[in-house]
Amino acid sequence: MLEARNLRKSFGELVATDDITLEFGKEAGELVFIVGPNGAGKTTFINLLTGFLSPDEGSIVLDGDDITGMSANGRVDAGIARSFQVVKVFEEMTVRENLRTVVLTEQGKTWSLFSMADGHEEVETKVEELVEKFRLEDTADTVAEELPHGDRKLLDVAMSFGLDPDYLLLDEPTSGVSTREKEYVIETIVEVGRAEGVTTVTIEHDMDIVTEYADRVVALHQGAVHGVGPPTMLETDDELRRLLLGVGDDE
Amino acid sequence: MPERVDRDGTPAYRFLGVEVTRRETVFLVLGVVFLFVIPDIAGLSDSLQLSVIHQGLLFGFAAVGLNLLLRHTKLTSFGHAAFFGTGAYATAVLARYAGIQSVGLLLLGAIAAATVMAAIIGVLSLRHTGLYFALLTLAFGQLLYAIALGQSALGGSDGLPIRPGPANQPLLFGTAFSPDVYQVLTYYLTVVVILIGLFVMYRITQSPFRNALDAIGQERTRARFIGLPIRRYVWAAFVISGIYGGVAGGLYAVVRQYVRPEGTLFFLRSGDILFMAILGGFRTLVGPLIGGVVLIFLQDVGQDITQYYEFLTGVVLLILVYGFPRGIVGSLRSGGIVNARLSDLRREPSVLSTWGRSAVQSIERKVTEALTSLRIILFGVD
Repeated sequence: MLEARNLRKSFGELVATDDITLEFGKEAGELVFIVGPNGAGKTTFINLLTGFLSPDEGSIVLDGDDITGMSANGRVDAGIARSFQVVKVFEEMTVRENLRTVVLTEQGKTWSLFSMADGHEEVETKVEELVEKFRLEDTADTVAEELPHGDRKLLDVAMSFGLDPDYLLLDEPTSGVSTREKEYVIETIVEVGRAEGVTTVTIEHDMDIVTEYADRVVALHQGAVHGVGPPTMLETDDELRRLLLGVGDDE
Repeated sequence: MPERVDRDGTPAYRFLGVEVTRRETVFLVLGVVFLFVIPDIAGLSDSLQLSVIHQGLLFGFAAVGLNLLLRHTKLTSFGHAAFFGTGAYATAVLARYAGIQSVGLLLLGAIAAATVMAAIIGVLSLRHTGLYFALLTLAFGQLLYAIALGQSALGGSDGLPIRPGPANQPLLFGTAFSPDVYQVLTYYLTVVVILIGLFVMYRITQSPFRNALDAIGQERTRARFIGLPIRRYVWAAFVISGIYGGVAGGLYAVVRQYVRPEGTLFFLRSGDILFMAILGGFRTLVGPLIGGVVLIFLQDVGQDITQYYEFLTGVVLLILVYGFPRGIVGSLRSGGIVNARLSDLRREPSVLSTWGRSAVQSIERKVTEALTSLRIILFGVD
C-alpha cells in the first residue's frame, strides 16, 4: 500500500499541496483517477509521491516503510513508476530500443560493459511482450521522434509498464490525443494494468473516461482533498461538478 | 571463427562481438594495413612526417575517449587535456623520480594517475550539466596547467624530460634501441594500443551501458524515472574517457621523451581534442581518430606555409560546421546524400530523367516566382 500522510508543499505563497492524506492499493490492482480543476495540485501530488519533488511536511509510506527521503530512482526500484504529462521518451531510439533500455535497467543489466545490448534473451522476450501488449508491432523499428502522437503516448505508458511496477502514476496519459485514440490508449492501460495487478493512479480530465473506468475517484481542489469516492460521486456531488465544469445546476 | 549473420538484408560477419559487412571489412583491413605501412610511406614526402602522424593518432585517441561523453551523454568536456597531461606528467615523474625504465610500467602509471584524476574531476564537475559542466572541466584543466607551470619539481614551463636510466631512454622489452628504431617501435606500440582501445570502445558502445548513457543524454528526467542513478553512470563514462586520454598522454611522453605544459595541459589542447572529435565525426567510432591525424597534420603543414596557421584551422572549422556537420567519417558513410544518389542511379538509371524533370520544374517555378515579384514591384498588383 502506498500512503501519503499529511503531505504539504508550497511554492512561495502558493500552497500546492495542503495536508493531503490518501492511500492507494489497499486492494492491489485498483484503478484510481485523480480529478480536479487546473491548479488543484494534481501534478504536484504525483511529483511528491514519485520523488520528483520533496514535501515540506508529511511523509510517504510504502508498505509500512517511510520512503519520504528516498531518491527518485530508488523509488522506481521499489516499484513506483510514473509517466509525464508531456511525453518523455528517448527520442533518438526506436520503439524497441526505448523498451529495451527500460527492461535492461529494470533487470539491473546496465552496468554490463561488454555484453551485447540486444543479446540478453530474457530482456528480448520481455521487450517483444511489451510491443505486442501495447500493439506497437507496426512501429517497433520507428525512431520515437517520428511516431504519431497516439503511439508516443502508448510508448510512454509501455515504458512505465516495462518497469514492472506495483504502483503506476500516470499524469494525463490521454492529453493531446484525439478522441478516437483516447479510448484506445486508456483501454490498453486498463487492460494491462488489470492483467498484471498494477495499482494505477491516473490524472484525467475526461469525465466520461473517469466514469467508465474508475474504481475510485479522488477529487482535489486548491491543493486539498475535496472528496474520495466511487465514480458516481461525479454525478451526485454538485459542488464538485461546479468545480470541474465551471457550471452549477442553477445556471 | 566468424559467424555469419544478417543485417538489414546484407550479409554480415560477427567475430568477437564485432559485426561487419563485407564493405566494412574492406575498409577495416585497408585501415589497419595503412596504419602499419605509414612508417614506410612517411619517408616518401617531406611534408608527411611519422612524428606528426604519430602525434595526430595520440591526440585522436584521446578524442575517441572524449567522444564517449560527447556522443552518448551529450556532455561537452572542455578540459580533456587534463587527462592527457596527467598521463604525460605521470610518465615523466615516474621516469625521473622513480627511475622506472620499462615502457609498460610507465604506461600503467599513466593510466592509474589519469583514472584517479578523472575520478576526482568527474565527481566535482558532474554536479552540473551543459555550460556549467563545460566551464568546470575547463577550470580544472587550467588549474592543472597552472600547477605544472608553477611547480619546479614538474619543471615549470621548461617541462620534464623522459630519459630514465643509463640508456637515457625508456626501455621496450627491456632493451634500448637507437633513436630511429625507437621511434618506429613506439609507433607500432601506439598502433597496437589504438586497435585494442577501438575494440574496447566498440564493445562498450554495443553494450547495455551505452543504452543507459544514451537514455541520460536524450531525456535525463525520464532516465532518472526508469531507475537510473544518473550521476553514477555519467561519472563512470567520464572516468573511462579520462583513461583514454591518460593512455594517449603516457604514450605521448614515451614517444617524445619530453613533456611541456603548453603541449599537453594548455586549454587549447582541450579545444583541439574536442575539435578532432567533431572534425572526424563524433557520431562515429573512428571519426575522432581520423580527425586527430587531419588536424595535427593541418596545423603542421599550416605552420610551414603561413604564420597565421590558426587561421587555417578556423577556416576548416567553418567549412565543417556549414557544409559537413557530420564530420569526415560521418559524411563518407553510406546514407550520406552523395552515396544515396549514386545508389539510386545504379539501381534505376531512369531516375536521371526524374532528376532532370524536377530540376526543370524547380527552375520554372523560380522564374515564375521572380516574374510575379517583378510584376508586383513594377505595377503594385498581384
